[in-house]
Amino acid sequence: MKKNRKIGLVCSPGGHFLQALKVLEAFEGHPIFFLTYSEKATSNRKNTYYVKNIGKSPIALIVGVIKIFLILWKERPDILFSTGSEIAIPCFYFGKFLFRTKLIYLESGAKVYHPSRTGKWVYPITDLFLVQWEPLLNRYGSKAKYVGGLI
Amino acid sequence: MIFVTVGNHFQSFDRLLRKVDEFAPRFPQEIVIQRGYSRYRAQNAKYFDFVPIDTAMEYMRTSELVISHAGFGTIMPCKEYGVPILIVPRRKKYGEHTDDHQMEIARVLEERKDNNIYVVYDESQLEEKLRGALANKKRFIATQNIGRKNLIKVIKRFIEKDR
Repeated sequence: MKKNRKIGLVCSPGGHFLQALKVLEAFEGHPIFFLTYSEKATSNRKNTYYVKNIGKSPIALIVGVIKIFLILWKERPDILFSTGSEIAIPCFYFGKFLFRTKLIYLESGAKVYHPSRTGKWVYPITDLFLVQWEPLLNRYGSKAKYVGGLI
Repeated sequence: MIFVTVGNHFQSFDRLLRKVDEFAPRFPQEIVIQRGYSRYRAQNAKYFDFVPIDTAMEYMRTSELVISHAGFGTIMPCKEYGVPILIVPRRKKYGEHTDDHQMEIARVLEERKDNNIYVVYDESQLEEKLRGALANKKRFIATQNIGRKNLIKVIKRFIEKDR
């Protein structure tokens, strides 16, 4: 029998979030939720959890990481998907080591030749790692895949 | 309408907005600026800081032309809608970004010669390039994106295998 997978999409607002929306079709038929920063660009969206930008201050980082843990504890996603940025790091590490979540990372199409900081952090633990430009392949390991980009 | 947008990045991009403000009176089009975390207050154009993502998309879709930082979140919808876009990369040396990846994406798009994307490295050339782009009446057809289809396929397959 086919089983639905609960999928969490974690992305910061702006271009990262928009890229996740562009591949939303891939998650059709599965229950999904979003986790993003509370900013105007992402305000009032359905199925969405908000935390304050964890990159802004050490306190925001601590509070944000605790909140992220509680959200994942409650939702127990089977799969986490992210296009960055740093919000993916605590999510992926909690997911991998506490909830046995499968991880999918799509490197932002803004990155052509140099890996993103977030990409480098999550690469070792990600199950499906996709880049949008071919030159990035040899900057990551053999796990990275290129099948095309969003532009 | 000409829509000017600098996205959600936390550093300011006043260099672009100052230039746009300077030549705005010489254009008959209404110019609307999304200034994000920039501090410059335009005198000759309307501006706001942030809007929800769907509103931003609507601004881009209905614009005659978009002027933007070289942010993926602006380039992607403009390509999809077939709206001409002039991109000015944010530079690390001016404190506009944490690195120069916007230069890289600008170069790669310039080499690819996407016909609705105009790259402007030096803001002093922006007005001239804008006039050229506005004079180009060619309609751009939204292109089929095979990359997007492939990405969706690969992710879908991964999820199915996980069942």
